[in-house]
Amino acid sequence: MERREPTDGELISRVGNGDRRAFEELYARYARAVLGLALRRLRDRERAEDATQEAFVAVWRSAATYDPGRGAGAPWLYAVARNAITDGLRRSPQPTAELDVDRPGSGPDPVEQAEQEWTAWRVHRAVETLPAHERPVIELAYWRGLSQSEIAGTLDIPLGTVKTRTRSALARLAQALEEDEAG
Amino acid sequence: MSERRPDFDERVGDELEAGERERLLRAHEALLSTTPPPELSRKLARPPAVERRRLVLPSRPALRARPLALAAALAVTAFAIGVGTGGRLSDPGAFMVIPLSGTAGALGASASIEVFDIDTAGNWPMEVSVRNLGPAPAGRLYELWLTRDGELTELCGSFLAEPDGTTTVLMNAPYKLKEADAWVIVEQGSDEVLLTT
Repeated sequence: MERREPTDGELISRVGNGDRRAFEELYARYARAVLGLALRRLRDRERAEDATQEAFVAVWRSAATYDPGRGAGAPWLYAVARNAITDGLRRSPQPTAELDVDRPGSGPDPVEQAEQEWTAWRVHRAVETLPAHERPVIELAYWRGLSQSEIAGTLDIPLGTVKTRTRSALARLAQALEEDEAG
Repeated sequence: MSERRPDFDERVGDELEAGERERLLRAHEALLSTTPPPELSRKLARPPAVERRRLVLPSRPALRARPLALAAALAVTAFAIGVGTGGRLSDPGAFMVIPLSGTAGALGASASIEVFDIDTAGNWPMEVSVRNLGPAPAGRLYELWLTRDGELTELCGSFLAEPDGTTTVLMNAPYKLKEADAWVIVEQGSDEVLLTT
């Protein structure tokens, strides 16, 4: 029998009660997504790493305010992380950093950028939760540009297995993205 | 190795039903629109250090001066009950009763925790009876915690107080009972102790 993974909302509620193991699990799920968001905003690796840590400290401190009745965990985490990153940027602005929310008329459309960031957040999060045997197939295909036969060679699995895993992983991703939209 | 955009039809084949194909296509396009997430450096290999919630002890000198030793409290309580009831508790299976009293944050409130025999999972079922503690603001919950060295360590359960201030709830204390040194009740998300042993 497959063990049901706790939802993001359940983990956040546990973090709100001071559960460090839940905090570590949440970190494992979202660390790369938060770092990716921070890099897009700050465009500086070192500052993005600092901002990522600050974002998770903010998650720890504010998790008790999370109300599952008002929405799923992913949007809540996104909002907390984004605010922590923006707050850090306001505290110590750098010329390399992009504070797009405060700079209308320059760079990409803020609304469009916000949508891109939110999509990236959801996709990164969804890929992070794929089973270990499916995740590399997706990463190699979409983020490394490998063909199916190249993936089969890299992972040393039959071509048919690559196809099966790709379909299965896309179905899981579709479900994860639909759950986010349902909120 | 080549760099190319994955072709959807090539990846999933043509055996899918139209609805399922549409779902997978959305996931495919979301992936195409997203750059890969960055890898974590050693600095980010672990989550940042975070503090457990430190308790704010009430402004009652007696409470500050008196260490909250749960083991001692349990021994005294059990002894007192044993003497008072001839060794038998009113509820069959009850193991001990722990009294809690209100701090400056909940003057006049009190509670008792009736701990029953340990269950097969190794936890301690218990009945918590609270008196003179009205509902928390904004419908928030109260929480019963075990503490150690002034920190909240194990959550035993949460409850909503009844409007008349009298609430009885069943909870389950973790098996790590002996590692704790006190029981406290706080408002959800707050570090201010409202009732304590």
